[in-house]
Amino acid sequence: MTTSNLPVLLFVIPFVASLFAAGGGWLVRGAEKWVTLAALALTAALSLLALPQVLASGSLHTHLGGWAPPIGIEVLLDPLSAFMAVVVSVVAFIVVAGAGPQIAEELHGRETVWYATVLLLTSGLMGLVITNDLFNLFVQIEVVSLSAYALVAAGGRGAPRAGLNYLIIGSMGASMYLIGAGFLFAATGSLNITDVAARLGEADPRLALSAGLLIVAGLGIKMALFPLHVWMPRAYAVSPTVSASLMAPLVTKVSAYALLRVIFWVFGAGTLVVEELLLHVIAWAGALAALFGGVLAFLQKDIRRLLAYSSVGQMGIVALGIGIANTSGLTGAVLHIASDALMKAVLFLAAGIALLRFGVRNVDELHLLRGRAPWTAAAMTVALLSLVGVPPLSGFFGKWYVLSAALIEGRWALAAALVIGSLATIGYSFRIIEKLYFTPVEADAAGPREGQVPVVAACVVMAALLVVVGLSNDWIVRVLVLPGLPGMAAFGMVP
Amino acid sequence: MIMGSPAMMALAVAAPFVAVLFILFAPRRLTEVWGFIAAGIAALACASLLPAVLGGAVPEQHLLTLMPGMELVFRADALGLTFALLASGLWIITGVYSGGYARADNLKHRPRYFAAFAASVGAALGVAFAGNLLTFFIFYETLTLSTYPLVVHKESEKAYAAGRRYLLFALGSGLAMLTAIAWTWQITGSLDFTPGGFLAGQVAGPQLAVLFTLFILGVSVKAAVMPLHSWLPAAMVAPTPVSALLHAVAVVKAGVFGVMRVIGFVFGPAALADFGGDEILAGLAAATIVIGSLIALRQDNLKRRLAYSTVVHLSYIVLGAALLTPYGLVGSTMHMVNHGLAKITLFFCAGAIYVTTHRENISQLTGLGRQMPWTFGAFTVGSLALVGIPGLSGFVGKFFLARGAIQGDDVIALAIMLGASLLTASYLLPIVRIAFFPGLTPEGEAYPTHRAEAPRSMLVPLLVTSVLVVIFGVLPYAIGTQYELADLVAERVFSAARFVGDGAAPLVVEGAAGLGGGGMP
Repeated sequence: MTTSNLPVLLFVIPFVASLFAAGGGWLVRGAEKWVTLAALALTAALSLLALPQVLASGSLHTHLGGWAPPIGIEVLLDPLSAFMAVVVSVVAFIVVAGAGPQIAEELHGRETVWYATVLLLTSGLMGLVITNDLFNLFVQIEVVSLSAYALVAAGGRGAPRAGLNYLIIGSMGASMYLIGAGFLFAATGSLNITDVAARLGEADPRLALSAGLLIVAGLGIKMALFPLHVWMPRAYAVSPTVSASLMAPLVTKVSAYALLRVIFWVFGAGTLVVEELLLHVIAWAGALAALFGGVLAFLQKDIRRLLAYSSVGQMGIVALGIGIANTSGLTGAVLHIASDALMKAVLFLAAGIALLRFGVRNVDELHLLRGRAPWTAAAMTVALLSLVGVPPLSGFFGKWYVLSAALIEGRWALAAALVIGSLATIGYSFRIIEKLYFTPVEADAAGPREGQVPVVAACVVMAALLVVVGLSNDWIVRVLVLPGLPGMAAFGMVP
Repeated sequence: MIMGSPAMMALAVAAPFVAVLFILFAPRRLTEVWGFIAAGIAALACASLLPAVLGGAVPEQHLLTLMPGMELVFRADALGLTFALLASGLWIITGVYSGGYARADNLKHRPRYFAAFAASVGAALGVAFAGNLLTFFIFYETLTLSTYPLVVHKESEKAYAAGRRYLLFALGSGLAMLTAIAWTWQITGSLDFTPGGFLAGQVAGPQLAVLFTLFILGVSVKAAVMPLHSWLPAAMVAPTPVSALLHAVAVVKAGVFGVMRVIGFVFGPAALADFGGDEILAGLAAATIVIGSLIALRQDNLKRRLAYSTVVHLSYIVLGAALLTPYGLVGSTMHMVNHGLAKITLFFCAGAIYVTTHRENISQLTGLGRQMPWTFGAFTVGSLALVGIPGLSGFVGKFFLARGAIQGDDVIALAIMLGASLLTASYLLPIVRIAFFPGLTPEGEAYPTHRAEAPRSMLVPLLVTSVLVVIFGVLPYAIGTQYELADLVAERVFSAARFVGDGAAPLVVEGAAGLGGGGMP
């Protein structure tokens, strides 16, 4: 246990940079872009630097303002949060760096605000990942939510309404979380996660259970856990494509991580009765999500709505892993959070190329890209195959571990939901692939060509990452994921 | 010594995938050449492993750890090498044929076609050399994905429908297999193919049955066991070289190969016999043989008839494995090769007929034998081989399959095998008859006799494969080597299972010497 200032920098840098981006962009045209990229690069570099340090010499703690917990706010970089911090900051950097031309095109004249908001969003996401304080978690959720509403509402027709819709539902989620956290405070007299966990055993189980259900529902809305997902498809379909490209990979994923964190770091150490009921709720919601997310995605016309429902399904797999709650399940959940971040980043960026370059909004028109956007199509295909779970792409491993987890526990219904959901995933993925490669299109030499180089490069780099991450899965699981999981022995779980 | 080292497996699998990159990114005019080169490399690499494997060695190579405790492993045992030699060897010939077909039929999207073709063979070789279930699964899925572009190649509504059905069946069954593999891993902590199986004694009755069902569901789509066969006739919409190498050899044989792996190397004969899984599978295979033959009789489209014939003969192989007798397994292993040789000849002929005359239906072939004597000669050889006429390759495998049925005292299986041979004759030989002995046209005139063969690049390959059919029916060295490999498979599987004493006749390890000249001991 080391005290260090490094963790704090991870969310303070983007936060401060957000002010500089706003001011800089006001003073010098175009400055906001470089401020943003520099801040995101620095954040990514620092989190990449912090990870080996955490793995080698244990967790890093910071007490904000020098106040020790339980009074002060504590920031914690343990192996799990350090890993998540890398995922978030790296994906955010690649997406924002790559999406430059799209941003210029879609948000012409409003780039300054957009970049500043993106930094705010990243700051909130990083804060969510590394905070060890229940109230601070709420604050970070609000930071994420408010900036996300703004990013959605920046879109064209229908976007402000979708943003408002998101705002209302999201606020309900945040409020439920806050009430839950308040209950925990009432029960234990603390807001520090470590502290609450230690005292929860003595608290009234009914109070703890209410708190747990409220928190699960609140975070469930944020991670679009079925049936609390209704805000998402519309928000991502009408927002600017660049906003969706950044939010879809990160917001729901980090919320899922927050759920995992609260369930196992707060309730995990508490009473088993509470724990079990909450886990059941999460597992079954996950099973339904995996099933219906896939089916609903298959039924969509709009590419981005399809992808949003696909996220519902993938978050279902994550929730299944969390709900089944053995080592295999949690490993799968963490892996799938990381993979889906990459997959959705590729797919939403590619959907942006389809819309902005080719005017293609629906799956049925995707054949217009055939032969004209070979790199985009290839990156999309890799991401879709990973989504289907073709080994050795990284998407396979999350599914494998979660499926194994269900089989270990003999929970056949959950395993079946996962498998049937995967069948639907095959369906919608190949709907797209068939359009991209096998549907005839009239030869028209004058038509638009491949998307701008940075966007396509970002897609290709992340698609390549899906391969690399998949092939190094053994190392990732052993070195990065397993050390970060909560002590399984406490729950009598099979290793 | 590099040749014959375990690295040859990786080379054989990698060569086609490297060829894919060259095909897609190198200059267009060389498109056909890369696959051909890769085929040569892969076949040589496989052949170089033959002496070691015949000597009883099992070369093994660990490639990469994918998950803690789970590795990608290549292992060349007798069964895997047999399949690998079949796929890579026939790929060379198909490479020539494919080039000729592409020119003659003015095939579009050639880079995609040749790239997918190479990837499919690479995946099939990966399946052949897979040393554990995870490696097997990875290449099995790769095989599905790389064949898909070939099925939808024509980009017609019919092709899309066939492609969608193929994906649904193949990837859906892949999920069943994935579940089975994950479960197996949970139960045993091992995924390594082990002669005689590794599940025996680890799982109790009903669980074993469910697990077996999942595995068989996983492999029987590609093996086209009814009721999961319907993708195969639909997939005949693909260009004919695809039907020839992939839908008669590489893909479908990967399915029956999977059945043999599951029976012999995952469950093991003893464990299967315990709960009767073998009987259910044998029943399905037997039903497929009978029903498939009857359906084949009624097909007028030549490729569809051949496809149903493939369905039937794949089930011969499945049935042989499900008999759980040493000779049954020997027969399955040999018929896997011999059916491949004969069926690829027949498909080559169908393709040659199509590009020359644009006829696809059997009823249009009347009198064509006089115009295309070489093609129909080869067709005759292939048909007779499939019927099981001694002196041609098909006989050898069927002989051992029948012997396997006798060894297992399974009279019904024996009757079905022999009866279906008659059915094979009745759906293949009429084609030969109307081609060569057409009588007179409805107008009362003689059929034209001018020569109109397919281009040489197509004719030579089909003649080569028909000669191979003869060679593997008469040449002692060829049959002997093939038998020795098959015998090694059976010996390892059954001695490890200690099954021999279980009422079945003990397996006699026979050398090549006992099998001269196509005459059987």
